[in-house]
Order: sequence, then C-alpha cells, then structure tokens
Amino acid sequence: MAPLPARAQELPVDGGGGTDAGTTADAGADTVSDSLSVGIDAGGLVDADISPPAGPSPYDVVVVGRRPTKKDRTEDTTRVDGQRLRDNARASTFEDLAQEDGDVYVSSRGAGIHGIGNMATGGIRIRGLGGSPNSQILVVEDDAPDYQGIFGHPIPDAYVPALIDEVLVIKGGDSTLYGTNAMGGVVVIRNRWRGEDGYELLSDAALGSYQTTRASVSALGRIGNWDMEAALSDLTTDGQRPGAGGSDTVATTALRYRLTPTLRISVRNKVTHVDGNDPGPVTTPTPDHWFDAWRDNASAQLVYTQDAIRLTITPYLNTGIHRLYDGFYSHDYVAGSTAELDLRLHSQANLLFGLASEGVAGTVVNRITEDHPDVRDHIDGSLYSQLTLRPIARTDLVLGARELYSSRYGSVPLYKAGARVDLGWGFSLHSRVSQNFRQPTMSELYLPYPVANPDLKPEYALNSDLGATFVSEHLEISGTGYRTEARNLIKYFGQWPAAEVINIDHVVIWGVEGRVAAKGLGPLSVMVAGDRQTVGRYTKQNPDGKVDFIVEAVRNIGAHSLAGTLTGEWVHGLYMADYGRQPMADVFVMDLALRDRYTSVERRLTVEPYLLLRNFLDRRYAYVQNYLMPGFNVLAGLKVGI
Amino acid sequence: MRICVGPHRLSWWLTVAGACLIATATAGCDLEYPEVVVENQTKSQMLVRNPSFNGCIWSTVLAYGAATSPGRCLPGDDHVHFQKFDAEEYCQQQASDGTFPGICPCDGGVIESAANGSVDSGLVNTVPTWFNYQTISTKHVDYGEFRIFTIRLDDMEQDFSVPSPYGHG
Repeated sequence: MAPLPARAQELPVDGGGGTDAGTTADAGADTVSDSLSVGIDAGGLVDADISPPAGPSPYDVVVVGRRPTKKDRTEDTTRVDGQRLRDNARASTFEDLAQEDGDVYVSSRGAGIHGIGNMATGGIRIRGLGGSPNSQILVVEDDAPDYQGIFGHPIPDAYVPALIDEVLVIKGGDSTLYGTNAMGGVVVIRNRWRGEDGYELLSDAALGSYQTTRASVSALGRIGNWDMEAALSDLTTDGQRPGAGGSDTVATTALRYRLTPTLRISVRNKVTHVDGNDPGPVTTPTPDHWFDAWRDNASAQLVYTQDAIRLTITPYLNTGIHRLYDGFYSHDYVAGSTAELDLRLHSQANLLFGLASEGVAGTVVNRITEDHPDVRDHIDGSLYSQLTLRPIARTDLVLGARELYSSRYGSVPLYKAGARVDLGWGFSLHSRVSQNFRQPTMSELYLPYPVANPDLKPEYALNSDLGATFVSEHLEISGTGYRTEARNLIKYFGQWPAAEVINIDHVVIWGVEGRVAAKGLGPLSVMVAGDRQTVGRYTKQNPDGKVDFIVEAVRNIGAHSLAGTLTGEWVHGLYMADYGRQPMADVFVMDLALRDRYTSVERRLTVEPYLLLRNFLDRRYAYVQNYLMPGFNVLAGLKVGI
Repeated sequence: MRICVGPHRLSWWLTVAGACLIATATAGCDLEYPEVVVENQTKSQMLVRNPSFNGCIWSTVLAYGAATSPGRCLPGDDHVHFQKFDAEEYCQQQASDGTFPGICPCDGGVIESAANGSVDSGLVNTVPTWFNYQTISTKHVDYGEFRIFTIRLDDMEQDFSVPSPYGHG
C-alpha cells in the first residue's frame, strides 16, 4: 500500500496536467469516494490499491483522478499524453502518434497540411490495416466517432493538440466496442477539463520556414459547477514548393455542468476549416488542384455515476461541406448515439452494456458537369457487451460481443476475447483476439471515382496478438507478435474506363513490434520503437518495417527547464502500388526540438520559447512517390501560459 | 501583472530573442531554392507547353527560342517535363488526309482519306494533340544556383509518368 502524503494536497492519480511525457503506460483511475484503485497496464508501472487509513486523519486528502480512457485492459495500446503532442516537433498530430509507435505508420507530404482529395496524406496504418483512404482506422474523440460520411475516413487536419489530454491508440482494432471502421485500430482522443476551480490560458505563436505561421489560444475554466473550455488553432503555410500551401483552422468549445456530484452533462462543438492545394508530384505539378472543406463535430454527453454504476449517453452529429477544384461538391452527415452502462457486479467482475445507432447520409454533385450521383443513406443499430472477470489476483479476462444490424447488410456479428496477467516484479503478459469490420463507404458504393459498386459487402478482420511487458522505475520493455487476417477486402483494379471495385480475397499479415524506453537516466530519456511485418500482396503505402526513436535531455536550472528532444524515423519497404510494384526509397528523417520552459509559481506564469529544427540533416525523402518532403526547415515559437 | 526585468533577466530575454531572430532568418530558407529557366530550342514549328521541373510548373506556351521566367524549384534531380505540339507534322498529316480544303500534298500524291483511298476515315484526326514528353537527360540543381535548361530535339522522349489515384477521393 502506497504511503499517504504528509499533508493535505491533491493527488493526481494519473499522468494528467502534462507531467507525464508520453509513455506507453496507460494509467487511469475511477474517482470514488472511499477507496482508490490505480491500474496501469500494458507497459505501465504497478497495480496498487490505495485506501485511506481506517482511523481519523488530521489531514484532508482530496484525490483527483480520471476515468481511464481504456475500457479493455487486455488491449495492446499506446497512450500519448497531450503535452507530449504539443511539444513534438512533427508537423501534425497523427505524425506525432506515429513517432511513438513502430506499428503505426502515417504518410505525409509537407509542412503540416495533409489535405483532402485524391493525393491527400495523413492516412494511418496500424499493423498493416488502414486502407486508402484510411477507413479501416476509427478516430473517436470524446466518445464520439469521427469520420467523413462520403469517404468514410477522418480528416487528419482536424486534430490539433491544444486541448488534448491524452490519446490512446488501440492496436488490433475493437469493433465490438466501437463499431464500424475500428478494423485495424482505434485512435481514442480525450480532451481535457480543468481539475480545480480557476482558469488557465495558454497561447502558442510560431513562425517558420515557407511563410509558416502557427498560432493557438486555449482557455480552460472551472467555476462552481461549471467547466468551460475553448481553443482556436490556425496553421497557414505557403508550403515547400508551389501549390503545397494551405491553411487549417480549428475552433473548439465545450461546456460541462455538474448537476449533482453523480450527474453531469456536457456539450462540445468543433469547427474545422482546411483549404489548400494538391501540389502534384514534382514531375507533374498541379498548382491549381485546390480543396476547401468545412466540418462541424457536435456532441453532447450525460454521465451518471453511482457506487457501482456508470451510465454514459452520447449523441453526436458530424457534418461537412467539401469542395474540390474539379467541381466536386458534397454535403455529408454522420449522426448517432451511444448509451453505455458499466456495472461493477463484484470486485472481480465488470459488465458493460451498450446500445448504439448511427446513420450516414450525404449528397454529391459536380458543379461543372452538373452530375448528381445517387447516394443512398444508411443506418444501423447495435447491441454490445463486454464482461471483465478477475478470477484470481492480477488476472483479467475479457469477453465481448456485438450484434449490429445494418439496413444494407443485415446482421453483422462481432466478438472478442482477451487476457492479461500480471506476473509480478513488473512483468505482464497479454493476449487478445478480435473480430472487426468496416462497412463500405458511400464513395465505394455509389461514386464513380473511378468506379462504384452498390453490391459491395463489409470487410472483416480477425486480429490477434500476444505480448509481454516489463516495467521498472527506469526501464520499460514491451514486445508483441500479431496476426492480422482481413477478408472481403475492397479493392480497385484497373483504370477508368475499365476499372472495377470488388470484395476480393483476403490477406494475412504477420508482424512483431517492440518498444524499449529508458527514463530518468540522469537528464536523459530514450525510447526506441520498431515494427517488422509481412504485408503480403497489398503493399501500397504499407511498409515492411519502421523504427522510431526519441532521445530527450532535460536540465532544470532554477525556474528554467531546458529540454532538447531528438526524434527520428526510418521507414523501410514502401511501395506506391500493390504486388510489390513501384518500390520507393527508404525514408529516414530526424528532427530536433529545443525549448526553455520558465515557470513562475508566484505569478502563475509559464513562458516557453522553443525552436523546432525539422529534417536538420536536409535529407531528400518522400512518403508518397514524387511528393518530396521539405528539406531542412525551422519553426520558432513562444508559448505563454497563465 | 508586472514582469520585472532585471539585468540578468534582460540578457536572458535578449538571448532568447536573438535565437528566435536567427531561426526566423533561417526560416526563409526557401528563398535559397535554385532558380530555373526552361528554353525551347527544338525547331521553329514546334511549340512547348507547360514545362515543369522538380515541382515547378510554368503555365505557358513557348515558341521556338522562347524561355520561361525564372522559377524557384526544389533542389535535386529531375527531367524537364513538357507537352509538345509539332505543327509541321500536324500539317503534313492533315494534308495527307485531305482534311482541309485546298491543302494537298505538294507532290500531288493520293489523299489517303478519299473515298477510294486506303485509310479508314475514322482514323483521321483534325484535333491538334499535345503529347507528354520529357528530356532524356536528367538535370541537377542545388541551393542558390541559377540554371537554364534547354529542350532539344535530340534530347526528348515520351513521358509515361502519369500519376494514378492514391488516397482519398
């Protein structure tokens, strides 16, 4: 049992508030009135039960904790702290995530704008699955799934780290809990609230190469029973070559009211505007292939907690308006609702029930040719459950099932099973198998880009993994072997006018990924993550191997905290087409981030100038063939927080 | 809220500001991109349209002897890509096919598309067509350089680098 503090103070139970620098430790706690259970798994520290002393205490202890983002302890996950994302030198949030994990691959084409349209980047691949566009990976933000209704993928430029508290990357997917698109993986984003009365403001302004300006302002407040947050982020750049520029503006507001200690309600809205251009390959530039997209993500949430019960109801609505240079104009809508009841049946058993429904709709028109493809709406409803058992100490067994009924496909049964055993002395084992799926997108069903097939069926994946982890105070080692089997994959063949799209064949991907992190070695912390996989014949933008490393040195001098972070990525076995065609050169790039964080406790002020030196070796490389990445470029900025 | 700036603090802020200025100055590194000019030195009847090199494209038509304005392109290697229209070849073909009234082969030869000719009239094409070509040789430029690349008849080949759809629709 951990010792209690010597005097009254708030105990942050997990890595909140930016103090935890993005480890794989997945920490969380349920806030309960009498006792506190801290569970950190899949690369974390220790399991401990901390209870207040039996007798009267002269001190008041207020425990501040958060509900864990992770609902299934047997999943292989990577947790990245929001502060880590805000400090990272990479140009976008998804690229930051790829930096932390060997089996997460994200493509890029420039200085921060991934874009929309035919050659957009930012697609995520997790253990060989992702799709093109990445509709096999689901992004969930504050319990609301986020994907574009027509093309079925998230918009990478819509995720900025200003308000992010943590991101959990669930590898191997989990359609049992999250439904469609959670086929290869799930990126769960949780935004932060202020944990104590008062307010905080943070501004971040930066200027850099290619006329790049990046600015954000975020504010969090807590007054009485009200919690508020707002953030505005803007990135504008001319890009590293003609036509590679653009702008990305994201505005988020959220309000939460605690009706009673056990009941709270919140509303959240995010507006994104991204515009820019597809510059084309360097061999055939296209400086006039512009795009312009507006998106709105709105959600509400009611949370009721009482003793062993937690009820969460989350309705959401995602809408978007997309325009492309070629006359494409679309409206899309994804609306749904989930209701989850989490019951603590026993100290050794948890049961989660869920009810979900979702509808996808949209309209598409070509304003130049006046074509109006017929796009039909689609709805589905699901009933799902997850049973967590702890038959013996330090052992978790998870069983889950989901029955989805679709207006197009009828019944879609899904299931999963997993186990996790803490062996003691920092060692743990975990294993899981999960049946996941992805419904065809409206684009694949109805739109001639280049061809459609309204008879397409869902894709399925049976993902399994087995891994081990060792964690000590200064060292963390984890390794996982995985198998991804996908069938009914939707593939395009040929070129217009002879192209076709069908469900075809299946693929089996075997892989192994590992991570070694050494922390607190004096001023140094080091992390190396790698992945090696056999992707079979679907090699397009599906690398054979990847290694990422982070070396960080921190030195505190009085009120100053000086930090230097060296990051690097090596990607091997990239192809621009399937069947091993159009091989590309390996990617290798290194970035350097320097910062000086000055903190004045008396004035409640932080000032942090920083300098990002990207690709400081000035290497020529590309993730997408002939879309050369920027050479050496810099971004210098200043953060001020009060 | 007042922030007092003593001598020590002032020197720290000056150091930080200086570092930011240096970084900002180097932020204009794209200004050091090489400048490239493309010149049409093929033949008097050949037009070159939309030449491009390593990320630069000039939306223009170059007559024989004409050149583009200097464009800032990425440093590195690439062929010069362009579209060409050979007016001489076009006119010869139209004369041979008899598509324009009053224009016939100079030697009085048979007009192939005539009713008693041997060529299917469906094969006759009066639409001027621009074909994708590139230089055979690879050009190289580095930071800070100024280069003029010429397109010549003996240094061109067909360009099949047509990008296929990749990501999103």
